[in-house]
Amino acid sequence: MKYATLNKKDLNKWLEHLKKSAKLYAPRKKENLFVFRPVKDVGDVVLEYVPTILPPKKYYFPQKEKLLKFKIEPFQTAKAIEGFEDFILFGVHTCDIAGIQCMDVVFRDGPEDPNYLNRKDKMIIIGIECLRYCDKYANCASMGNHVPRGGYDLMMVDLGEKFIIHINSEKGEKLVSKLDYIKEAAEADMNALERCREAKKKVFKEEFIGPLGKVYGVFDKSFGSDVWKDVGKKCVACGNCTAVCPTCYCFDTQDDLELSLNDGIRYRIWNSCQMDDFAKVAGGEDFRKGRDTRQRHRYYRKFKYPVDKFNRYFCTGCGRCTRTCMAGINLVETVNSLLSQETL
Amino acid sequence: MKKQAKPRVAFFDFTDCEGCQLQFANIGTTLLDLTELVDIVNFREIMSEAGEDYDVAFIEGSITTDNDVKRIKKIREKAKVLIALGACAAIGGVNGIKNRSSLDLAKQRVYGDKADIINTIKAMPVHEVVKVDYVINGCPVYVPEVLAVLKSILMGKPYVVPNYPVCVECKMNENVCRYEKDQECMGPVTRAGCNSWCVNNGNRCYGCRGLLDKPASDAAKDILTKYGLKVEDILNSFTLYNDSMGEKYDQEFR
Amino acid sequence: MLDREILLEKMRTSPYRPMKAKIIEAEMVTEKEKFFRIQLEDKINLGHTPGQFVMVSIFGYGEAPISICSSPTDKGYFDLTVRNAGVFTNKLHTLGKGDILGIRGPFGKGFPIDNMFGYDLVIVAGGLGIVPLRSLIRYVMHNRNDFGDVQILLGCKSPKEFLFEEETKEWMKRSEIKLNCTVDRADPDWKGNVGLITTLIPGVDINPSRTYGVVVGPPIMYKFVIVKLLEKKIPDHQIIVSLERRMRCGLGKCGHCQIEGVYVCQSGPVFTYADLKNFKGECHEKAS
Repeated sequence: MKYATLNKKDLNKWLEHLKKSAKLYAPRKKENLFVFRPVKDVGDVVLEYVPTILPPKKYYFPQKEKLLKFKIEPFQTAKAIEGFEDFILFGVHTCDIAGIQCMDVVFRDGPEDPNYLNRKDKMIIIGIECLRYCDKYANCASMGNHVPRGGYDLMMVDLGEKFIIHINSEKGEKLVSKLDYIKEAAEADMNALERCREAKKKVFKEEFIGPLGKVYGVFDKSFGSDVWKDVGKKCVACGNCTAVCPTCYCFDTQDDLELSLNDGIRYRIWNSCQMDDFAKVAGGEDFRKGRDTRQRHRYYRKFKYPVDKFNRYFCTGCGRCTRTCMAGINLVETVNSLLSQETL
Repeated sequence: MKKQAKPRVAFFDFTDCEGCQLQFANIGTTLLDLTELVDIVNFREIMSEAGEDYDVAFIEGSITTDNDVKRIKKIREKAKVLIALGACAAIGGVNGIKNRSSLDLAKQRVYGDKADIINTIKAMPVHEVVKVDYVINGCPVYVPEVLAVLKSILMGKPYVVPNYPVCVECKMNENVCRYEKDQECMGPVTRAGCNSWCVNNGNRCYGCRGLLDKPASDAAKDILTKYGLKVEDILNSFTLYNDSMGEKYDQEFR
Repeated sequence: MLDREILLEKMRTSPYRPMKAKIIEAEMVTEKEKFFRIQLEDKINLGHTPGQFVMVSIFGYGEAPISICSSPTDKGYFDLTVRNAGVFTNKLHTLGKGDILGIRGPFGKGFPIDNMFGYDLVIVAGGLGIVPLRSLIRYVMHNRNDFGDVQILLGCKSPKEFLFEEETKEWMKRSEIKLNCTVDRADPDWKGNVGLITTLIPGVDINPSRTYGVVVGPPIMYKFVIVKLLEKKIPDHQIIVSLERRMRCGLGKCGHCQIEGVYVCQSGPVFTYADLKNFKGECHEKAS
């Protein structure tokens, strides 16, 4: 079976089934926004949502993660986590799946990071394809992430009365097989999917004023651009943009001791290149002193450096950095300013 | 760690509400574990008798009278380690509002016709009078941070207060940003370490932990203006806890 | 298993877990610097390349990147020399013989010793720069016939800041090595050169195409020394530097040591001047 269908009225039944198969995380409402949470009541799950405050990266690259257990006297170290549990990420947007792919590339790149890869091994991704823009901040079309590009086990597309589900892995297939309410897709369903994709082409338009190849080129030449000064002036250095980015993975380590002052845990904790002391060395020299150089670094880590290293853009187009920025730094506007400077 | 004689700990009150000492009492069962490591010899909130000798002095409150100055100097002489506990002791806290007007006017306002017989000086954080070894920020202090500082004290290692904004912790907690809800919030310029305690509980950040080393106040003011606040409101927000920081206040906000 | 295989296996399965190591010698060598001789558990050889670094762990205090200052030809132990410059190094300074540490590594790319075979060397060390360079110098001494002429230029702010004084005196006595010292400010006992290290370079006699210039020192020093080496016509790819950055994970992940697209903990800390020229603006050591 390559494609299956699920009637919308059976969605909750399926969610109950998924919940029994593994730990299930899905988007739900939080105040006026959305968050991924463990599913308690399947009725809370929402599939029409603006990207969650934090991307699902918190489940495979947690905010504060145990790296190792230690004892000072006598000197001992041990694995901090013995076993990882199977989990399902349900209702993941294609932009966030692109983010997961970026993180995979980074943590697989030698020396590998077993903490990440062990978690990743246990992860099943069930995506949902967006048929319209979530809001005005997304730039998924320019990044080519408004359509599925692999990296998932199952991908759901809303066809009105039902979902059509693309089965992309054995793990995924297991979750849809032997259920009487999930059927193999008929030709009519496939045609409907085709029509749906056609309609999407009219909805999603490239958000940047130039093609992606040109964006790369312009970054190559824009290190000294005034655009960074403007961005730096606005920036309040809160680090929101990096925390919410599905492809930001900088971290710091920290030792926490128990009250015995002999046993403890070494953690890794999310860190941000937007912080004051991020690149400062013991001698006192700070290699990215200004907010402008730090913002520039963030952008280059999306549009230049990873392209050179992995042939992959680390902007997924999810729009979170713009959405979360209280200072109103807008990614599309920044990139377009660079592009328009170039054409002058 | 090698077992040594337990350090004797004392708590002292200056101008404050005693809310930070109350947080100690709220530590709960861990407080009992703590007594394995330290002897508490003077603690108004939970003990009745006052001890005489101590190694470690927790100071709560700001210094606001000539007598306070004498007293804190005496404590400093005796204590091997001195800790500023809570916003009033660490940065002056709300007591600093007094410094916004002249001392005479402040006295007049508070004590009316008895103003002349009251001794009072400008409100000061403890470090303006004596050397402070450890700072625990917050109004009130955040219990997990208190424990972290205590461990540092016992290990004889400095405790480094984070120099990044509350937003960092707030985002990790996946809170809905107060600005998303069109509320002002001091998170972007306020020192983290509280695990965004207030915002986690539906409140906003009032800046009780003091400003970052290099707050991006220009950008922060732009934001507050963008969200429709008037200059006066912005100043009030910025200075609720930070008035007694003197020069720093002047540099950042005037 | 060979020592190298053991270390690689550890790196593959648990890259964040430090190995147990013991301090077998410790000594204050200047007012601010302390020397440590360290032995890994089971006397495993670190097998590093000169110029690489290790992450030193003290549980409860964290980790810090420290350059290795012994040569891989010094078997059974390795040496570190550490300046007391913060919470971690302050604690490290309280440790002495017999105390236990955690070690991860070795990390990074060291000096390109294979490429340097058969070449003449001009080694320029400013201040603490002698720490990683001691590793190279000792390596060269132990494999002396693999290299051509070797000249060493040492510079410090004042005479009392010189590290490895006894060893330097030994080097000075050796006829196959030329060594020159200078200080920015002399004291009454100082009989050597006074002036910046750059003043020593014009007097150095070299055949530029056959010479590697190796420079390690504080950020400010690089610009000036590199200019002098370029004036001597040493090609870009034969000018070697080692950069100080905030290495944290050692695995090219955490981001703290990044210069533009380059993770210093993996691609450095040793770079050629040809590499430096590719940086657009975040490399303060690049000669302008």
